[in-house]
Amino acid sequence: MAFTLRSVKVPPNSASLEEARHRVFDFFRAACRSIPTVMDIYNLDDVVTKSHLRSAISAEIRKNLHVTNPKVIDMLLFKGMEELNNIREHAKQRHHIIGQYVVGNHGLVQDLGAKEKDMSDFLKSFYKSNYF
Amino acid sequence: MGLGLLASRALRPAASRLLRYPPRHGLARAIGSTPERQSPEASAAQAQPDPAPELPPRKPVAGARVHLPNPEDAIEVFVDGYPVKIPKGMTVLQACEVAGVDIPRFCYHNRLSIAGNCRMCLVEVEKSPKPVASCAMPALPGMKIKTDTPIAKKAREGVMEFLLMNHPLDCPICDQGGECDLQDQSMAFGSDRGRFTEVKRSVVDKNLGPLVKTVMTRCIQCTRCVRFATEIAGVQDLGVLGRGSGEEIGTYVEKLMTSELSGNVIDICPVGALTSKPFAFKARNWELKGTETIDVTDAVGSNIRIDSRGPEVLRILPRLNEDINEEWISDKTRFCYDGLKRQRLNDPMIRGADGRFQAVSWHDALAMVGEVIHKVGPEEIVGVAGKLSDAESMMALKDFLNRMGSNNVMCEGNGKHPNADLRSGYIMNTGIAGLEKADVFLLVGTQPRVEAAMVNARIRKTVRATHAKVGYIGPPTDSNYDHEHLGTGPQTLTELAEGRHPFCSTLKNAKNPAIIVGAGLFEREDSDAIFSAIETIAKNGNVVRPDWNGYNVLLLHAAQAAALDLGLVPQSPDSIKSAKFVYLMGADDINLKDIPDDAFVVYQGHHGDQSVYRANVILPASAFSEKEGTYENTEGCIQQTLPAVPTVGDARDDWKIVRALSEVAGVQLPYDSVGGIRSRIWTVAPNLVSVDEREPTTFSTTTMRPNTNQKISPNDFGMAVENFYMTDAITRASKIMAQCSAMLLKK
Amino acid sequence: MAAILRGALKGIKEKGLGNFLRDLKEEGYLKCLADGNLLQTKLHNIGATLVGVDKFGNKYYERLGETQHGRHRWVEYAEKGRYNASQVPAEWHGWLHHITDHTGDELLMLKPKRYGAEHRENLSGEGEAYIYHSKGHALNPGQRDWTRYKSWEPAKTDSQ
Repeated sequence: MAFTLRSVKVPPNSASLEEARHRVFDFFRAACRSIPTVMDIYNLDDVVTKSHLRSAISAEIRKNLHVTNPKVIDMLLFKGMEELNNIREHAKQRHHIIGQYVVGNHGLVQDLGAKEKDMSDFLKSFYKSNYF
Repeated sequence: MGLGLLASRALRPAASRLLRYPPRHGLARAIGSTPERQSPEASAAQAQPDPAPELPPRKPVAGARVHLPNPEDAIEVFVDGYPVKIPKGMTVLQACEVAGVDIPRFCYHNRLSIAGNCRMCLVEVEKSPKPVASCAMPALPGMKIKTDTPIAKKAREGVMEFLLMNHPLDCPICDQGGECDLQDQSMAFGSDRGRFTEVKRSVVDKNLGPLVKTVMTRCIQCTRCVRFATEIAGVQDLGVLGRGSGEEIGTYVEKLMTSELSGNVIDICPVGALTSKPFAFKARNWELKGTETIDVTDAVGSNIRIDSRGPEVLRILPRLNEDINEEWISDKTRFCYDGLKRQRLNDPMIRGADGRFQAVSWHDALAMVGEVIHKVGPEEIVGVAGKLSDAESMMALKDFLNRMGSNNVMCEGNGKHPNADLRSGYIMNTGIAGLEKADVFLLVGTQPRVEAAMVNARIRKTVRATHAKVGYIGPPTDSNYDHEHLGTGPQTLTELAEGRHPFCSTLKNAKNPAIIVGAGLFEREDSDAIFSAIETIAKNGNVVRPDWNGYNVLLLHAAQAAALDLGLVPQSPDSIKSAKFVYLMGADDINLKDIPDDAFVVYQGHHGDQSVYRANVILPASAFSEKEGTYENTEGCIQQTLPAVPTVGDARDDWKIVRALSEVAGVQLPYDSVGGIRSRIWTVAPNLVSVDEREPTTFSTTTMRPNTNQKISPNDFGMAVENFYMTDAITRASKIMAQCSAMLLKK
Repeated sequence: MAAILRGALKGIKEKGLGNFLRDLKEEGYLKCLADGNLLQTKLHNIGATLVGVDKFGNKYYERLGETQHGRHRWVEYAEKGRYNASQVPAEWHGWLHHITDHTGDELLMLKPKRYGAEHRENLSGEGEAYIYHSKGHALNPGQRDWTRYKSWEPAKTDSQ
């Protein structure tokens, strides 16, 4: 724990939304720069590409698009930095990375063909799993 | 035998002296883990509150009710000072059970004869010079039995020491460890040290076949297995050889145990001498999750407990049900479980243009089926339910195909002209337990030993107890009770119906005659004529009376009775020969050559068995161990399975597949849950909803059946089940069953 | 000293100077100058009996008599640069460490046919170290299959 905290700097709060925005970009750059290392240490070359990981990072950031409070952005950035450090320090295992950033939260079973909108709830859950 | 109970009993005198208040409830609970599951004895023993000497009267062990036929035969004995009234002829041990005292025992088993050779049940009887073996001692009026005196305890400790003298100390590697009577009772009654310094005896292991593993050094010569084999299984394979310290259990000659009930010796063995070979070293019993469900490999519907760990079924054990399987199950039921792990269908598949299967998503598979089913005419759609189907899925299939305009839904094994109108015409009206009252049996075209081993055990029990006569019509068969082979075909049946056969007088003079007809006759072309001949026999022999209905049909498959209740009867018998769209719901035993070459075949099931090779689309379904389903057994008792393990791969429950398909095909079925489908079943066959109840039939077919103008063909009756061990998709996929049929069914 | 020189001259005469120098190099005499350990072994070898040579080329010497007991058996490794004790194969280990008096060549026939593995020296630190990966590890080539059932194989079903 201590070594994680040491490496995560806690800068003073962002004064404005503009500063927070810059910090987000800095964080994104830092994350993108660590992608080759991450691919190397988790042996991800055969399961994912760099651009996929980049878009996974940006998707994680875009999830919080609606946040406008610089303090909240700082807090989220801190969390993101902590996560990034954990990943870089090999504090996670391969399946954590695959589960969170490669497969993502939409799960392994992706129903690509289900375009019809007028399905009943039964059919929707039937396509997902046996247990509902 | 619950360890908790035993321990608390061992502690009782000290505790009652030391403690004024009764805290022993908590103690018993804390030690015993889940003894209700371990054995019927233990469950009852645990349920019974620990009787404290201060609180009369005690409740009987196992909730045993004492039935006094005539009160003047009752005698009174005193157990630990408490008077109990018992009928004459009960043993001391039974009297103690009635009084609520559980006596430790190894050789005594209440379904077997009394041997009295383990000496563990010694109790003190007043005015008797030495402790008496309570299991073999008849209770006499005014007997004063003492179970808790120093003499009784010392006797038990001494017996225990002798038993452990030659018992190996291999509990850590023994499969019985954790559910071993010897382990439990030595904890409760044994000494804390041994005085034995010599070399232990060792015994050569016997080869009893692919099911039962023997470690004969562990044997304590209780002879339960010998008595089980001779009395219940009816094979004289096991016996005791030698005397004294050279005594051992074995087959007399090098021979496998060829009984369809041999697995039960694993359960009755109080130590780890006889254990399950397929289960050997697979798991410890305390890491297993037990699921109380029922068996579907035959029409008996034996009550079983599936023990699983994670996604794997590791073993199957019987549950007590006096009406159906008592406490035994057949080997097929017990050892078919490895079939659940092999040859499984786990992805929906579509056969491409090149004849190869390709795994697709559920969406694509259902879309394809929904498209094709609209391209064929309604009368060209045929649905066949398999022998393992549950009532819910058969209901859904029938509703779905009816909505598509077809009424050709059938269940395999029910033949072309099933009589679904009168329930008494296709179930066992006497009931399995009711067979014990019969004094003459007439078996027509059925070999209960291979078709329904538990029913056969019931018949054997009756024959043994009351010397009931058994007449049999059918091909020569190997039966394990005395029977009179009347003939091989319908010829004999006609003679019996016309009263020309000598067996007619036996039937007529019988008090409770029972006719058992095999469901294999359903498949015959002249089934109607044969059944009317049988009904004539029943009428002449006065088999069906208001107080006794001896007319029975012994079904072959778990799905048959429910299918007939739900009315799965094809509109035209040969519809499958002109079908363009065939929906096989687990039907693996239909004649695939009947299906036209241009027909589109959908196979929904859990095993890649026989019909898969003809299928165009495969929809993977869940097996009986993975779903909740209602089944009706051959005597009309409704029971439900419970899911023990998760489904494999991308499989779905049967009725859910049909329900989803109906929506894709545009004819949405109106139920979305098991509850919904059960209320639909309730409108069709209300008896299928009352679980664990047996609805007796109201009308008898003997009076109501319409006359038939069919002619009886002279062809002999065939064998309905060729191979006892492999009858359905699960057992055919099982390696153990394959071994059994290779080793045990030598022709 | 004179004997060594005489031997050297005899070698030059027989093989010619070029061949002699090459042999000198191959036998590690040149490395002796930097590696005192090897030099000492070489000096020790003089007058000792060569008991055997194993399949890697390691030479096993023995000198009884005036040598101190316990130092009377030794090995000259075939590898002159990076030699280490793990290069001695199993069959010679016993002889070398005075466990047995049977030489490696005699013990070779005791090697089990079915499961006897070829001797490999310890390559730790040489880039070919053996690293254990547990069964589920991503780098383990034989990754464990966690499915507890066997699925039906459609490949062998081209009956239609």
